[in-house]
Amino acid sequence: MTTQTSIPADNQTSLGRVLSYLKGEKPQRIAAFPLILNHAARVLGVPVGQYNRNGKLMGQAHVAAWKKYGHDLILIFSTTSTLAEAMGTKMKFFDEDAPQIDEPLIKQHSDISKVKVPDFKKDGRLAVYLEATEICVAEVGSEVCVSTVFGGPFTTAAALYPVELLTRDLIKNPKWVHELLEICTQAGIKFIDEIFARKALPIIVEPIGSGSLVSPRHFHEFVAPYLKRLADHVHKTGGGMPAALHICGKTTPNFKVMLEADFDIWSLDAVDMAEAKKAAGHRVVLIGNVTPANMLKNTAEEVDAEAKAICGKMGDLGGFILGSGCEVPINTPPANVEALINAARKYGRCDG
Amino acid sequence: MKRERGDILKDLSDGVFNMNEELVIRVSSEAVKAGLDALDAINNGLIPGMGRAGVLFDQEEYFVPELLLCSDAMYAGIEILRPHLDKKTVKEKHKVVIGVCEGDTHDIGKNLVKIMFDASGFEVYDLGRNVALGSFVEKAKEVNAHLICMSTLMTTTMDGMATVIEMLKEEGIRDSYKVMIGGGPISQAFADKIGADGYADNASKAVMVGRELLAGVAV
Repeated sequence: MTTQTSIPADNQTSLGRVLSYLKGEKPQRIAAFPLILNHAARVLGVPVGQYNRNGKLMGQAHVAAWKKYGHDLILIFSTTSTLAEAMGTKMKFFDEDAPQIDEPLIKQHSDISKVKVPDFKKDGRLAVYLEATEICVAEVGSEVCVSTVFGGPFTTAAALYPVELLTRDLIKNPKWVHELLEICTQAGIKFIDEIFARKALPIIVEPIGSGSLVSPRHFHEFVAPYLKRLADHVHKTGGGMPAALHICGKTTPNFKVMLEADFDIWSLDAVDMAEAKKAAGHRVVLIGNVTPANMLKNTAEEVDAEAKAICGKMGDLGGFILGSGCEVPINTPPANVEALINAARKYGRCDG
Repeated sequence: MKRERGDILKDLSDGVFNMNEELVIRVSSEAVKAGLDALDAINNGLIPGMGRAGVLFDQEEYFVPELLLCSDAMYAGIEILRPHLDKKTVKEKHKVVIGVCEGDTHDIGKNLVKIMFDASGFEVYDLGRNVALGSFVEKAKEVNAHLICMSTLMTTTMDGMATVIEMLKEEGIRDSYKVMIGGGPISQAFADKIGADGYADNASKAVMVGRELLAGVAV
């Protein structure tokens, strides 16, 4: 059993800690990024279905979650399909769960003519995201890094056109897929501009590029080139901000081709972090990877033990951030979120 | 000129394995014209081709796009051969009820498992996605299923699997079925915890686990 008193106190703000990574300096202890997304609604005590359709509530929920937990990154997010939703895909909303795709925009190839870069003021729930971002930056942006998360080009394409058809078309109609990815990339670039304009960090999630779905060959052809354009745009316009990428699931087969996309931060899920570190080299900061289902199902002691084992794989802890492999499940017990963050305080010491 | 049975079967297998739907359609028609037994063409041509694809999938040489196109070719062949099946030679099969738990509409993983069960001599009853939990039990009873397979990608819906097992227990029919689960957040530990009989982490392994669970179970 661990007790409160055995946890060393922090002497850096969350923002200071994260900036240490950017400056290449050692933080006092490693940062902790439990990926708190829809779970923030639970902290504020509002239904998830209200949180994700009301920018004020979404922003307040993340401020409340940060004040409760003191994690090192706020992530504004509802689903990986938010861009596609703004571009015309219909979503199904639930009171107590994240929305899911109801009806993709594209039914047949010719529907690609309907696909346009969205209007960030009025399409879908983009304004909700951006308002939530503004609220967090205004209220706590001087103490913690605020990020806004959106689906990458491949994931957006798979939300505009059913994934089972899109994956077949990688082989049958590659030219058409490239056309679709081009529009999704332009939409992503515009989203990055909107996020930077609000002094937040864009984070790109590309779960459909997971090694569970596409081969390294297809990642190289259809995923990496478009991700790289987003990373390049971040590097060009972000004033020193890093390009951050999250891919859920099994990514091990794609490590090598992921390097082609030129991101500075990888957030990883169901992989061996030691293997990831070896593949990613020193340039990439790694975030990972307490098993999301374990955050929900295990005890705080078990979360602590899993986090400790992960830290143990990361050598001198340089360029490592302790996180959850994917979204912290909505109904995760708060004690388990606290256990993950405390594990960073206990096992992530860099100060001696 | 009529070709040998072996050449036809090899083309069917290769056609599926190489995602060549056109070849499979042509050779399936050829098999019918040549008077080849339709069941022989399916079981010893199309299905071994899908089996080879499954092996490469398990080895991470084939991924979802390849597996789907192989299955398209297999189903195109079956479509042509099915009307010619001799009812007398068709054997009873193990029956599988499969679906994605209520509250979850992600079904690509479930669909891959269905394909691999289809391709491995099981009779599959696909309930689709966002399936009311009671429907798993009802369908299993209705068709006298041997195996119930449940999938979910979400942590919010995984507890539904435990609910289905509880429903079976309440009706006193838990031992009548094997229960297998899978999906993103699912693990062997979770399967053990809720008392499922099996767990697999990909579509190819799902069939292996299903076969093991049903070894010795009469059809």
